[in-house]
Amino acid sequence: MSLDPSASQPGPGPAADTLASPPASGVPAASAAEAGPAPASAPTSPRVRDSWRRARGVFGVLGIMVALAAVTVLIASPRPGGRLDPEATTPVGAHALAQLLRDQGVEIRPARTVEEAGELATPDSLLLVGRTEFLADGLLMAELAEVPGDRLLVEPVTQALQALAPGVSAGALTDVESREPGCDLPAALRAGTAVTGGVSYNGPAGSRSCYGGSVIVFNAAGRQITVVGSSDFMTNERLAADGNAALAMNLAGARPAVVWLVPTLPQTGGAQEQGEATLTDLIPSGVGWAALQLFIAVVLVAVWRARRLGPVVPERLPVVVRAAETVEGRGRLYRSRRARDRAAAALRAAALDRIIPRLGLTGDATPAGVVAAVAMRTPLDSHQAGALLYGAAPDDDAGLVALARHLDILERQVRDS
Amino acid sequence: MALTGRTGLLAALGAIVVLSAPQPGIAVLGVLALLTALVVADLLLAGSVRPLRLERSGERRVRLGDTVEVTLTVTNPGPRRVRGLIRDAWSPSTRALPRQQPLDVPAGERRRVVTVLAPSRRGDRESAVVTVRSVGPLGLAARQGSHAVPWTIRVLPPFLSRSHLPAKLSRLRELEGRHPVLIRGQGTEFDSLREYVVGDDVRSIDWRATARRNDVVVRTWRPERDRRVLIVLDTSRTSAGRVGVDPASGDPSGWPRLDWSMDAALLLAALAARAGDRVDFLAHDRTVRAWVSGASRTELLSVMVNAMAPIEAELIEADSEGMVAAIMARAAHRCLVVLLTDLNPAALEEGLLPVLPQLASRHLVLLAAVSDPRVAAMAEGRDTAEQVYDAAAAEHLRGARRRMTARLRRHGVEVVDALPDQIAPALADAYLALKAAGRL
Repeated sequence: MSLDPSASQPGPGPAADTLASPPASGVPAASAAEAGPAPASAPTSPRVRDSWRRARGVFGVLGIMVALAAVTVLIASPRPGGRLDPEATTPVGAHALAQLLRDQGVEIRPARTVEEAGELATPDSLLLVGRTEFLADGLLMAELAEVPGDRLLVEPVTQALQALAPGVSAGALTDVESREPGCDLPAALRAGTAVTGGVSYNGPAGSRSCYGGSVIVFNAAGRQITVVGSSDFMTNERLAADGNAALAMNLAGARPAVVWLVPTLPQTGGAQEQGEATLTDLIPSGVGWAALQLFIAVVLVAVWRARRLGPVVPERLPVVVRAAETVEGRGRLYRSRRARDRAAAALRAAALDRIIPRLGLTGDATPAGVVAAVAMRTPLDSHQAGALLYGAAPDDDAGLVALARHLDILERQVRDS
Repeated sequence: MALTGRTGLLAALGAIVVLSAPQPGIAVLGVLALLTALVVADLLLAGSVRPLRLERSGERRVRLGDTVEVTLTVTNPGPRRVRGLIRDAWSPSTRALPRQQPLDVPAGERRRVVTVLAPSRRGDRESAVVTVRSVGPLGLAARQGSHAVPWTIRVLPPFLSRSHLPAKLSRLRELEGRHPVLIRGQGTEFDSLREYVVGDDVRSIDWRATARRNDVVVRTWRPERDRRVLIVLDTSRTSAGRVGVDPASGDPSGWPRLDWSMDAALLLAALAARAGDRVDFLAHDRTVRAWVSGASRTELLSVMVNAMAPIEAELIEADSEGMVAAIMARAAHRCLVVLLTDLNPAALEEGLLPVLPQLASRHLVLLAAVSDPRVAAMAEGRDTAEQVYDAAAAEHLRGARRRMTARLRRHGVEVVDALPDQIAPALADAYLALKAAGRL
């Protein structure tokens, strides 16, 4: 490396000439290449612009993917929402109706809460109320009854019917099917047949009942109130069938503005909200931002601590094999199989190997000769010695331990005799 | 790039500002923008790491167990001061300290950084990388970069058994005698003639020389010299097993048999070189790993430790046939072949035994093996049934080793089987005994 002139730094610099070359004596041929002048250093970290050049392709591809995904989601996928939601493009949504009304110059004012509906409503607007089961609260109903302008109630529950369409009572449940208007209401006559049905209503005196009672129109207290028994003809799915679109637009587009109140969650009474402030309401808004700031601080500290000073250095380590492992394994095998016969044979063979030379015998001595010699030199008689050195394997572990100890004693006696 | 703790502290203090600000959301953005601006300014003002020049000097060789200092000279040719941290990274087993140290190099100057290595393992150790973190003047952010500054330290075998050398040398001198001996025996060769003095053995009178001169002349003798010793180190799988206690690091998992064998080989080489014999060294498993031949007596040890240093035990079966062929090819004349291997009955049975007669017919073979103190300790266990089973397993192995030793001796092979801390002096004693008996 140091032999390559292109790898060395340009110019000797102030330090290079004063540095002694490293002691290279005694280094054998294997490492002779490392000897010589001090090796030059070479930066290994990539430059910022190099890393940018390498990463920009990845970033570009990622950006294109995100953009594509966003466009696809915005264009293609149905916008979720509940039934009759003016923004929902699902089959049960009402985006198509809302869009048609907008095209006709009717202003759509979506309201999420009763309070909001009250703020948006004007005397010349129409209040469209659906999903009244989420508004089943006396206080809410009273508040809603104060809202000015005409009303279009879609599938109202009994409580809503009583509060918002006084004098109307719900009748029998009928099938939702294509029906003739059957009345002289201009809106219905212009629309012709429409998919209606559901709840049929009995209106008060002076009311006009169309489509078999499933659409009731009457005037009360200076406003026109319309009650519809089924919302099917207003949905995206059914709007194109029969005269549905015409009927829906005639009913909902009678006024220049529509306040569209179709809640998606159960609403609670406004009075309760005022009375009970939760803990989060009492905390000043600055605390949340301060927590965010602290979180940023934690992230910065994490970045500080996570940055290593240089890479992890790997090392090839030799395998650690304890030489005694095979012996320990054999011992455990003896133990697990309770191999007392083999264990006893090994112990006896070892003891004999040590005893026989001390007895002055040779390796080819017969058992009888060994036993006789042992009996002569120790207090044991020949039966005991024979049983100890050449007897049967012990019956249990205690017997094995005893055998080992007796062999030790025998060895000591032979050694000391 | 890297951040410092100060940035985090500043961001945490920013929380107080946000808490008291009239518009906290904007305050968060403001604090963030301020921090970013400060960090960017600090990064721009920090001394550049890339143009730094680093050069090394210091030792290239160290004996295992000793420490070695490696000096790094950092030259800053850039226009700005480089202040921060430097880390000279080495592989973990070199135990390089300090891990990181402060660095402050003004523009155009240079500084020395010393790292102390205390290697725990034999072999060649290469420096990995040098990383410099250059903190900006505000202390908020730092530039960081690495440089490759190659350097290799060769960690040599420790030669712990050198403490036995004086005792063995005095035994050698005893054997050799500073004075020529008068008794002719095995293993002696003719040294010189000298005049008879009263007390000399009359049987050593050289009558022919006496006849030529007027004085009575006796012959003197000395032990044979200039014999050949070939130390063969088996580096196959059986040498990887760890026995005893690692003397370098005190690791109770032990030291490989290979290292104990090297220690014994070094003592034998030192002794044989002093005794006037020529020592060659061969390391072999399936191929020749190292070969030292014809080294002069003074530099034999340094050449041998150098050849041994990078050898590691390979987890492969030894090729005994190849080893014998390599010995036969290298040793033309009769010599003492010292085989440092393991008395593993199964491995020897299949490997060495079939080819041993071929080797023993031409050379004198001495097989030295390190036995395991753990097995000896297991053979003593008598307290519980478990210990007795272990003792039986240990006795089984020891019996097999004894039988293998007996078989080898029948082939005319000398066997030294000793515990790790005994193997070096035991091998030296065996060599001295052979020399005294004149069997070299």
